[in-house]
Amino acid sequence: MSNFLQFTVFGIMLGAGYAIAATGLVVTYTTSGVFNFAQGAVGMIAAFGYWELVSAHHVPVLAALVIVLILGASICGAFVERVLMRRLHGASAERPVMVTLGLMVILTGMATILWSPTTQRTVEPMITGQFSLVGINIQVQYVLIIAVAIAVAIGLRALFYTTRTGYALRAVVDDPELLGMSGVSPNRMSQYGWILGFMMAALSGVLLAPTQTTGINIEAMTLLVVSGYAAAIVGRLKNIPVTFAAAIAIGLAENYVLNYVEPHLPANLQTDMTSALPMVFLFIALVTLPSVRLRAVGRLTSMKAPRVAGGRESLVAGAVFLVVAVVVAFAFADTNIKGTTLLTLGGMVLTLAIVGLSLVLLTGYSGQVSLCQFSFMGIGAFIMGKVAGGGSLLGLIAATAICAGVGALIAWPTVRLSDLYLALATFAFADAVATGFFSDGHIYGAGGLMVGRIVLPGLSLGSDTAEFLLVAVFFVLCAWLVLAIRRSLFGRRLVAVNDSPAAYATVGLDIGFTKVAVFAIAAGMAGLAGGLYATVQQIVGTTDFDIFPGIIFVLFVTIWSIRTVSGAFLAALTYVVLNQLWPSSIGIFAGIGIILIGRAAGGILGIEALHVRLPWVKAPSGTSDPSGHLTAFGGTALATEGSRAAG
Amino acid sequence: MPQAESTTNANSTATATTTDVLTVQGVAVRFGGVAALSDANLTVRAGTVTGLIGPNGAGKTTLFNVISGLQSPDRGTVRLLGTDITAMKPDRRARLGLARTFQRLELFGTLSAAENVQVGLESSVKWWQWRHVKRAFPWTKRGVPTQDGVPQGEPTGPGSTAATTADRLLEGVGLGGLGAHQSSAMPTGLARMVELARALAMAPKILLLDEPGSGLDDAESQALGELLTTLAAGGMGVLLVEHDMELVMRICDYIYVLDFGDVIASGTPDEIRRDPMVQAAYLGAVTEVDGVESAAVQEPSPKSGTGPEDETRQVGER
Repeated sequence: MSNFLQFTVFGIMLGAGYAIAATGLVVTYTTSGVFNFAQGAVGMIAAFGYWELVSAHHVPVLAALVIVLILGASICGAFVERVLMRRLHGASAERPVMVTLGLMVILTGMATILWSPTTQRTVEPMITGQFSLVGINIQVQYVLIIAVAIAVAIGLRALFYTTRTGYALRAVVDDPELLGMSGVSPNRMSQYGWILGFMMAALSGVLLAPTQTTGINIEAMTLLVVSGYAAAIVGRLKNIPVTFAAAIAIGLAENYVLNYVEPHLPANLQTDMTSALPMVFLFIALVTLPSVRLRAVGRLTSMKAPRVAGGRESLVAGAVFLVVAVVVAFAFADTNIKGTTLLTLGGMVLTLAIVGLSLVLLTGYSGQVSLCQFSFMGIGAFIMGKVAGGGSLLGLIAATAICAGVGALIAWPTVRLSDLYLALATFAFADAVATGFFSDGHIYGAGGLMVGRIVLPGLSLGSDTAEFLLVAVFFVLCAWLVLAIRRSLFGRRLVAVNDSPAAYATVGLDIGFTKVAVFAIAAGMAGLAGGLYATVQQIVGTTDFDIFPGIIFVLFVTIWSIRTVSGAFLAALTYVVLNQLWPSSIGIFAGIGIILIGRAAGGILGIEALHVRLPWVKAPSGTSDPSGHLTAFGGTALATEGSRAAG
Repeated sequence: MPQAESTTNANSTATATTTDVLTVQGVAVRFGGVAALSDANLTVRAGTVTGLIGPNGAGKTTLFNVISGLQSPDRGTVRLLGTDITAMKPDRRARLGLARTFQRLELFGTLSAAENVQVGLESSVKWWQWRHVKRAFPWTKRGVPTQDGVPQGEPTGPGSTAATTADRLLEGVGLGGLGAHQSSAMPTGLARMVELARALAMAPKILLLDEPGSGLDDAESQALGELLTTLAAGGMGVLLVEHDMELVMRICDYIYVLDFGDVIASGTPDEIRRDPMVQAAYLGAVTEVDGVESAAVQEPSPKSGTGPEDETRQVGER
């Protein structure tokens, strides 16, 4: 019984920490309409900053708290709102998600540079000591966390529902113009929201840091908030009391599972269970959430659609690409860069470009954000290594098919909801797979999983040259497939469901089916890329498919252009080159890049000033001014036209 | 039968007949503490244009959203050709023959005008079937596959039946030659016609039009009226929300007047024009100009951009 009480107290304390982080997410979302993926990273920076002040420079605890929570968090929150978020007003829905992800990788990149991951840092509790209650020992720090969480929840609830500022904070997302007309600056309210959100993030980081008994870790602290996601979702990103209660429930459940269920599992599954829990909670929250109402928002996308190459044009371009690949393959067959052959690096570029193509299909065309394409790559690589002894075409087929199936399973619970929930689900999935599956020594093995080069009957593909050319062929086929899909009936539907879900449904099309289908295709494509990546590298390890590299790659594709094949290729090239030159700073490059590209939905390749029309490319039709009067109506013929076409 | 009814006051219950294409009975919707619709009843018959008028915030767009499935009612039923569709998803309703346009444009803005219409035309096509998938291959012969000289199916792409039909539909709404333009780059009036063509592409049995005349000049509005009359003559039921009273009175066979979420009157245009309750709530005094009676509309034309939430706010304010 005393054990149960002990676990309960610890669970409530853990939940209280999640509750502070989750209410911070809710505050930011309520006041800005943006889900801040950098919430965990802000908490992580605050925890390290607090450690730096208190442990390294012996600043008094109270002064350190003032510096970190009041000064640091508020200045950073105000800065982020003013410099990064304000200019995104009216941008496409996925852009704020990308910018907060950019902020997250910048912060984690900076932290890696400032605080070496190899050094262990333990944060002392703010208040030491413990007391005994009904036979169990309770640390005072736990009581502090619970008390602060309750105070935060009550304080925020009171702020939002009993004060004029609170009403204005809630109103700013619904109708900023109307709020402005009532004499309240919507920008100022939004800034207050970001400041509050950052303070909550910092508070949760500082309070939870002493509970990390093995010391604070950049990645773990950044991802600690994933459990808070589930709580925020249960609160539907707006209800603070429900979010608080859900966070406590999750903290309790997590602790009970860890103490009562995990010890009975085989040793190799225990870590997996711990890692998968936030993901399980998130999916339970997603499945139980009521469907969002489809709304006609009247937001007309004004982005100029990139030109889509025709069938023959893409065949010719593919053939030219392959010729260039052949020339490169033979010209640089013996070139090495930092101990890796150039063709192996080239193979990595092409396999990552295939992952980029999956993002073009998924995010560029249909507007859904996936943060787990690297996870599908990792699963694909694993399957490739296990099926038919590795190095088999059958492995590639299995990798593609299984990843497509897993993708459909992930997308299915979220299609009733807004696209943000899919991004959250994929984030949680990427985290769970990276920490629970890939890091398991039994999956890839201690030294990594060996995967042989593909063997075809009568054809040797063992050399780097042959492998590079094989991957080039797959890239061209995938690029051609993506363009063919865009030109097809299905492609029009993908663009349509992104532009106006309400109109999409009212012309008789099933939004859920379309979204699940495209997610499955994109996941399958990423799985194929993973299989190919494994044959290029010939060995895949536990850190190849981490969540952060996956997010950084998504950012590079967005920076170049997430709507074009060229964007996917250039993103892969940039990623591999920067990863070779400055691996520890690649996140900072990606984060700064996405911030600089800002609201330009077409990325670098979409910037009009950079467009050069090749002499043999025809000018697109429909470029003349469409203004003016309607021509004569042809009513009589029209009455039967639709039925003739449909029938 | 609506046409046979005399003007009725609030809470009149629509009676279904075999030619009733759409029946709304006792629909109520609340947004928080505000009733956007209290007890809405109406019937649209096949082959008629039925008007739905009322001041801003009366609940017209909310009623359209309930009918098309974008808003669940708290109470009441919606029937399409006698089938209860109240709990159906919007896409199922559309497949049963219900099409609509929106007060605030809901175009597929990245697509061209013709592609917008094609999406509507091809809505019943299953893209994963091989006969459609294979058309993505560049070596597949384009054009209309025929059997004994009769066109088969709805192939996609330029030169296909869908593309040709889309062009004809656009021509029919006055957008001949503009099919290749990106729809989001079009002026509001033209963009509304793209929405109309997309709705018509589905060959609907009932067409809901939410202020299709806004953004059109007098001549275009006249042409729109003729088009809607022609569509109705072909057997389609048309439910029209419009603030252009001249257009409504000219083309509608029957009119419902909505105020504060209630149907306060219904009848023929003449009956509505003379109804004192309607005059007080919406139309204003009936005047005689050059021997022709007309009603001066009290409400200014609505600003574009008022939606159900705006309506809620306005209802709350009043």
